[in-house]
Amino acid sequence: MTDTSPSAAEIASRVAAALLGGYGFVWGFASLGIVLGVAAGLPYEEAQTLLFLLAFLLLLAAFCWAFVAHSVARVWAVLAGGGAAMTGAAWLVQRTLL
Amino acid sequence: MFQSLRLSMAWLHTWFGLVLGYVLMICFFFGSLSVFDREIDRWAIPETRFAPQTMPSYDRMLAAIFPRIEPEAEELDAARARVGGPLPAELPVMNWSAYTTHRDPVLALFAEFAVTNNPNDPYDHVHGHVTVDPRSGAVLPHDRLKIGSEFFYPMHYSLHLHWKNLGYWIVGLAALAMLAALVSGVVIHRKLFAELFTFRPAKRTGRSVLDLHNLTGVVALPFHFVFALSGLTIFAAIYLPVGSTMLEPLAMKHAAIAAEARGLAFLPSDEKAPLASVDAMVAEAKRRWAARGMPGEVGFLHVNHVGDRNSHVSIYRAGSDRVALVGQAVHFDGPSGRVLHEEPPQAPASAINDFLTGLHLQHFEHWLLRWLYVLGGLTGCACIATGFLFFVEKRKRRHAAAGRSGARVVDALGVTAVTGMVIAALAILVANRLLPADLPHRGGWEEAAFWGAWLLAFGHAAWRTAALREARIAPAWREQCWAIAALAVLAVVLNAATTGDHLLHTVAAGQWPVAGVDLALLASAALAALAARRLRRRERAVADPAGVAGTTDTATTEAAHA
Amino acid sequence: MPDPGSKALLLLAALAASGAGLGWLALAMDVHWAQVRGAAARSASQVRTLRVLGALALSLSLALCLRADHPTIATLVWVMTLAAGALAVAFALAWRPRALALLVAWLR
Repeated sequence: MTDTSPSAAEIASRVAAALLGGYGFVWGFASLGIVLGVAAGLPYEEAQTLLFLLAFLLLLAAFCWAFVAHSVARVWAVLAGGGAAMTGAAWLVQRTLL
Repeated sequence: MFQSLRLSMAWLHTWFGLVLGYVLMICFFFGSLSVFDREIDRWAIPETRFAPQTMPSYDRMLAAIFPRIEPEAEELDAARARVGGPLPAELPVMNWSAYTTHRDPVLALFAEFAVTNNPNDPYDHVHGHVTVDPRSGAVLPHDRLKIGSEFFYPMHYSLHLHWKNLGYWIVGLAALAMLAALVSGVVIHRKLFAELFTFRPAKRTGRSVLDLHNLTGVVALPFHFVFALSGLTIFAAIYLPVGSTMLEPLAMKHAAIAAEARGLAFLPSDEKAPLASVDAMVAEAKRRWAARGMPGEVGFLHVNHVGDRNSHVSIYRAGSDRVALVGQAVHFDGPSGRVLHEEPPQAPASAINDFLTGLHLQHFEHWLLRWLYVLGGLTGCACIATGFLFFVEKRKRRHAAAGRSGARVVDALGVTAVTGMVIAALAILVANRLLPADLPHRGGWEEAAFWGAWLLAFGHAAWRTAALREARIAPAWREQCWAIAALAVLAVVLNAATTGDHLLHTVAAGQWPVAGVDLALLASAALAALAARRLRRRERAVADPAGVAGTTDTATTEAAHA
Repeated sequence: MPDPGSKALLLLAALAASGAGLGWLALAMDVHWAQVRGAAARSASQVRTLRVLGALALSLSLALCLRADHPTIATLVWVMTLAAGALAVAFALAWRPRALALLVAWLR
């Protein structure tokens, strides 16, 4: 039977992905959600409140997923990559709303 | 991370639970104390031991007090640092607020002053506040530390670590860890309902501690989850400051639009105008609330753009009968007193958010629910503490045999975080009664007593956990339990001696805030003494299991030979 | 809203109903039945009765809470009475199982 306990490097990578990647993902999600909500006609405050309520639940999900997913690389790709993509999209959408 | 989901979840639960558990103990314990923060304030500041009051007349009392509020010294220092030089001699006042709840004998008044010479931030401002006796208008001396609402309460959400909001971030991380620990705990435990009532104290320590950990985690699972989540959503603007960074242009644009729509001027006009009768505005607000079927008292009063033609007064209803905090705001034009806008019922997300916030901050008037909240909070403490105990119990034999000190370190930190923390909380109460009444910076000395006692407890814990090297129970737990019992009784005695408000008097007079704190202290002393005695028995049993077995063996051998 | 006196009674009754309900649900489980009644046997329909009683008592508790307070507060009170009740039942089973015998005294 092969030894299945993770190396220190993998642990560090997962913790970083869970915290930093998770945070980045949620930042992107909240930003994009808010601007899309405003674009759809919601008042800014209401859109922000709604996204904040969803954001922390999503953060919890991303955080847990980072430790149960099989591939660390995929975790980084989805969380950090997805977060960056959503943040960029949010910035672009904001420009159209100003 | 591991081959199975369950193993990964177990790793997550153990390590994030352990590391952030020390912070979570603080959040849950001081959060529990915060349910009765204002009552603890009464105990700590004898001058405020009178019945809660409603908001007094603005025209006849508050109008004369507000102009006397000065910016706080620490805020001015921080502002000078931000501006990079001296501040203008006169900082114009931007707004005034008054805040009270159904449990407040004294009234909190706040002011914000504009810092006009900050080139980087046109909205830069500093704060000032005073505490007022609403019966007489007397301003309370500044250096009376409200141990409940100004020390225990901020401790639970900021750890009193204000540099770059570090404390808020650590608590936020701990809240996330709590949520993850609850989810992973459910995944690991699985038998949520089948073992809901399972607690077997007679079994070996590891099993009974784990039973208690599972029990305290599951029975209050909704409570633990919602409090951790709402803790995060309440400070969402700190944790996800999108509206003041990347999305600030959009946010500011909409804030101005929203103010316009309500007829509330976003900025002052620089033309002076006197304020109309605020008492008349309060009467109109109360009339409107009653007309909507929700009669009530004023919880929050806000005067914006003080002294300006664009000034407006916002009056919020105290939410004593429901979960949401303050609401049903009515906004009045300052100079004329006419109604500008009455807030409609909230949009869905805002209503849910207000519900979550109100659930966490509990300004409602419901004594049973408050005590049940304390029970929930202490149950959370028990869950975390039994988590530490289980961690140590599972590893101490292995570590003792291998000469490693991991279990000993965790145990010593556990003593510090559990009994040490309670000792610190009691020390500040004792110091509060012992220090001279007119000592300068009295609040600072009280806080020093708190931190000093905690540090001493840590030192004692580090010294008295050597027993872990032989996989025995550390006497530090029992010794600190006795210290808790002694300090709690001392605090009650000192209260009686220094204020004359002993239990027989306060119970007979119905002075429940003070009586309640004294009774809670005595109950804590009794529990701590009981725990100390139980621990003594366990320590002896663990140290000498062979003694009992030897007797049995001799007896059976003799019987066999008979 | 009821007056303070009736409200206190309603809430006390809600606490009692939650405790009893959770006690019945616990006693529907074999391991806890054994803690209270030892080796005494019981039928499947008796177990079902205990579960039904438990559910009814918890529903009654919720109704009493709703009678006493604004709905938003009442739901919180009810959920917390479940936590308090479950703790009480667990500690009774661990240290004073005979105390719960009262709940099933009518079951022979």
